[in-house]
Amino acid sequence: MPRIRFDSVEKRYGQTQVLPPFDLTFEDGEFTVLVGPSGCGKSTTLRMLAGLEEVTSGEIWFDDRPITRLEPKDRDIAMVFQDYALYPHMNIAKNMSFALRLQRVPKAEIDAKVDRVARMLGIETLLQRKPGELSGGQRQRVAMGRALVRDASTFLFDEPLSNLDAKLRGKMRTELAEMRNTLDKNMVYVTHDQVEAMTLGDRIVVMANGLVQQQGSAEELFKAPANAFVAGFIGSPTMNFLNADLVEDNGTLAVRGPGFTLDLPPDFGARTRALSGPEVIVGIRPAGFQLASDRDARGSTIDLSIKVSEYLGNQTILVTMCGDHDIVVELDSAARFQRGTTTTFVVAPDHIMVFDKKTELRL
Amino acid sequence: MTQSYERQNPAFYALVLALVVMSVGPIYLMLTTSLRLNVDIMSDASALFFMPTLRNYETVLCNALWYEPAHVDYCDPTFGRALGNSLIVALVSTGVTLVVGCMAAYALVRFRFMGRGTLSLTTLMMRMVPPAVLLVPVFGIWTFQYHLDGTHAGIILVYVAMNLPFVIWILQSFIVQVPIQLEEAARIDGANAFQVFFLVVLPVIKPGLAAASIFTFRIAWNEFLIANALLDRSTRTVPVTIVNSLTEYGIDWGVIMATGMLLAVPPILFTFVASKQIITGMTAGAVKG
Repeated sequence: MPRIRFDSVEKRYGQTQVLPPFDLTFEDGEFTVLVGPSGCGKSTTLRMLAGLEEVTSGEIWFDDRPITRLEPKDRDIAMVFQDYALYPHMNIAKNMSFALRLQRVPKAEIDAKVDRVARMLGIETLLQRKPGELSGGQRQRVAMGRALVRDASTFLFDEPLSNLDAKLRGKMRTELAEMRNTLDKNMVYVTHDQVEAMTLGDRIVVMANGLVQQQGSAEELFKAPANAFVAGFIGSPTMNFLNADLVEDNGTLAVRGPGFTLDLPPDFGARTRALSGPEVIVGIRPAGFQLASDRDARGSTIDLSIKVSEYLGNQTILVTMCGDHDIVVELDSAARFQRGTTTTFVVAPDHIMVFDKKTELRL
Repeated sequence: MTQSYERQNPAFYALVLALVVMSVGPIYLMLTTSLRLNVDIMSDASALFFMPTLRNYETVLCNALWYEPAHVDYCDPTFGRALGNSLIVALVSTGVTLVVGCMAAYALVRFRFMGRGTLSLTTLMMRMVPPAVLLVPVFGIWTFQYHLDGTHAGIILVYVAMNLPFVIWILQSFIVQVPIQLEEAARIDGANAFQVFFLVVLPVIKPGLAAASIFTFRIAWNEFLIANALLDRSTRTVPVTIVNSLTEYGIDWGVIMATGMLLAVPPILFTFVASKQIITGMTAGAVKG
């Protein structure tokens, strides 16, 4: 499998710069997920890799081979489209074997390959039907099957699950994760869903506004986000952000905002040197809060008034207010909360992330 | 539950009846006349009661039949030949128009080139020129410059030129509806530009091709004006032949009507076959709707 490298690739439509020159490397055999909100350039990146979109400047390399000017068919790639793009006039078997028939592969071999992939995806009974007679989930499988039959070195997925209902999406996600482990292929997967990104990606590339914000494993992105955007994008429910000032109180650093003062870890001082001013953004994940009444609770306290309490069985999600900011709190306990009451919570210092107000970079 | 029908104005039924008589009447007259002997046609007595006969049809098709009709002393090959000519001209011109038209329409829809919009509009504007205006120049050029008068190729060329603008226009609207992802998927699957067009786009726009073919076939089949000017005795199409058989020495109404009936059969068959291809929802299941 080739190592795919984007070398200062740029994309413009006329005068509009969609993607400023950027570098990106997809390692051999890796499952890479490009994730970001819509319009961030992730699909354009994928389509440039596929050869469906021209590269304005720069070069894309497969190992040492420049492929920027190659036709899609010469790049040894297979792609699954967001809205399936099945050939409506061919039955499923014909759809899946289209590429092989174009390559004039012997019929017996085609049949064997189609049969194997169809079995793998559980669509062997549908082979004689037309795409119009299938449900959304079945069509999605066929679209995957069409790519898998190819045996290409690189697989591209353009939001393949976004048209499925939630339950089916979860199921397909699990199957994709299984597939990732059995196939030794390069896979590049585009999605706007951070859950898909976290569960599938060996490596996740977070994009926004045409720029790569951060790349790394799911754990890296979750525990050490580079900036406020990544911190807010990765994780569910999303991180709470509060405006605050950095203050020094009795020798320990703390962040103080309207209605709260939270202590920072003792070694935090060294990290504040890059700070452009005293104003910061404080980020706390919903799971970073504990009830003050818990026995092992430690850290600074914060009073939150409860707006909505959502009991989900194992956890309870609270939407609370701190000043005029909404704060989402996720608790393991099944304790019930009364609307409108104020409860004291505790935030441990190592659950607090601090971002520079101007640059939004994490300290 | 009671079912109520809205009471219609009697004038409505009268109007419907008038329309039916107007559209079916001529066909009925043609059919009954074609089934009569000339004596019956001319006599007033047998307006309603007569002995139907296929003699007129036998006369028209005398050189195509496997037996020699007893009543025919001299087998005039004109009508049979004319039917053959019409079939050749209509089928070939329809075929050529479709092949050229679908490619032109595809290029106009999918490719970006200078003057694309103008070209697209011009094709339709060509359609607005009445054929009568073209008659004299076409006759002159075809006869004196290229010597295409009296040939199938000559008239086919005219019909292709005449029908092409409309066919391009119809097919454009069908090609626009083909999801671009289908073509992208085919390109990734390894298809070159021609394979994308012939293996993916054409099958999907089959309904459009059928509609366009019905249209071109009927125009080529019925056209009289230019055919009359360009064609000679051996290449005449049926409409020209019918008119030419109205002579000052005698008009064989029975034979003319029989020819008329036969003239109507191929377009009906063609339309029937082609319209089978017009099924809606051709792209169903291609992409998430």
